[in-house]
Amino acid sequence: MAQLIEFPIKAAARAGNALVEPLRSAWPVHSVDDFGRDPHLIGALAPFARLRWNVSVGGEQHLPVHTGALLVCNSRRFSLSAVYAALALSEATGRPVRFVGRPDTAPIGSLMRRLGGLLAQPSDVLGALRHHELVLVSAAGTNHPRHAGAVPHHLVGPAVVAGVPVFPVATMSSTVGRDARVEVGAQVRPRRKRRGPLAEVELAEQVQHHVQRLLDGFGGVQTGVAPLDWLAEG
Amino acid sequence: MRGQRVLVSGMGGELGSLVAAKLEDEPWVGALVGIDVDPPRRRLRKAEFHLLQPSQRERIVDVVTKFNPHVVINLSVWEPDARTGLVHARQFTADAATAIIGAAAECPALESMVVRSGVEVYGRERGAPTRPDESAPVRPTSEYGHMLANIEQQAREVGRRIGIAVGKLRLAPVLGKHVPSPLGRLLRQPLVPFSVLADAPFAVIEDGDAARAFVAAAHRRLDEPVNVVASGAITTLQAIMRGKRVPLPLVGPEWWVAARLSHVFGAPIPDHVVELMHRGRLADGARAEELLGCAARLTTPEVIDHLYAWESVVRIGSISEAVA
Repeated sequence: MAQLIEFPIKAAARAGNALVEPLRSAWPVHSVDDFGRDPHLIGALAPFARLRWNVSVGGEQHLPVHTGALLVCNSRRFSLSAVYAALALSEATGRPVRFVGRPDTAPIGSLMRRLGGLLAQPSDVLGALRHHELVLVSAAGTNHPRHAGAVPHHLVGPAVVAGVPVFPVATMSSTVGRDARVEVGAQVRPRRKRRGPLAEVELAEQVQHHVQRLLDGFGGVQTGVAPLDWLAEG
Repeated sequence: MRGQRVLVSGMGGELGSLVAAKLEDEPWVGALVGIDVDPPRRRLRKAEFHLLQPSQRERIVDVVTKFNPHVVINLSVWEPDARTGLVHARQFTADAATAIIGAAAECPALESMVVRSGVEVYGRERGAPTRPDESAPVRPTSEYGHMLANIEQQAREVGRRIGIAVGKLRLAPVLGKHVPSPLGRLLRQPLVPFSVLADAPFAVIEDGDAARAFVAAAHRRLDEPVNVVASGAITTLQAIMRGKRVPLPLVGPEWWVAARLSHVFGAPIPDHVVELMHRGRLADGARAEELLGCAARLTTPEVIDHLYAWESVVRIGSISEAVA
């Protein structure tokens, strides 16, 4: 009569438990959402983010409470404005805000996906908007902190397709200090109704103007020397 | 709509048996015939079963054309390292697809075909959508993905030529009590490797939910691809911790060694599972409810919990030596 040989599964499970238990108690065993965002990881990293940025948020009352929306912010080069703006807006609104523009290479891409990053592709943006998510897209990076770069119309297009509102978001941070500001403007309404691709091109230009207007409203140091401005206010 | 003749290819597998059992309870199904290399794993009351190898094309054509089905459900897909290795899986799947889809095309009564596919067809190359929906391009990056894409292509071409509805169910990795799955087997090992740098999220589907989707697709004459995915997502590390297994963090080159060792211990890791662990595998399954009228009952974390809730050895009573 053949004998059943069993792997010592109980002993292995006990060893596994002893090893993993401290980690398990500190980390929930299910914390990623449908898009791979991990609120628990974000919560764990929040103190470190606060060491770098002390963000004041304004205008968040403009954003919808339940439905999806596309947010477009300006971006100073290397400032990670989309990341801190998304984290700050998530905290202010109580809804996850996903930023667009994560790389697709581990480990940075994986980490940013856990922070709520999406690829800078219309399909990713459209997928999130169709699921009533708040998605933050960055305009092209600029060297000047108060210049809004061109808004990528191929990333605004999904908002037109999904029929969700678009909001301008002005961001400003300092390269040396912690202070940062995120201001959400009122919904951008297209001037004309278009049936074709002009809708997204015109909407992108309009959003850029709105972001620029918000940035102009911030005021700030104007030395006339761009590097000094950049260092002074970031 | 009553009295429909339904042919299930791959009825011997766990998913096929489950689909057949559910079809037997459907009022619109009149006659049910199954083909596979293994006998069904459940007691079926009405179904007629034919034990046929995928290479026996002439006999398959004979059985299918004589039955002259209204609906064909093709589940004859061998996932690499699930029931057989990659080489055989590729050969069996290609043979079965050619024989079944080709034979079905000869049936004058045929109205609809539903084929099993998977979210692996989207591939996970750099820049691939994080959570592809059905409109995402089919660009497989694994052997299994290519196998499934070939089945879809064959079915689509036949559908176009003879003018029938072709539904393609792109399933997330199927896990269930008795489903042979390399992912499920790997996750149930005492020591489970995971990519510490990526630990990407993925979604799965329970076999019962997948079977219900096939029945609904056949009933509704689905004529397009649809993702069948449980809601929610989980990372490998989280799955390991849910299962109280020992996580083995790996960075890169040692994956090769880990995969070989895992093979020795009975849980080979095919390339699509490695891809899932490194790059994740999410898909947008929102359209399934709209097109099929049914949503997955279990979420991804619940399916993973079920995976770990199974007994390693189920004892069904003592065996007396005197009797033996």
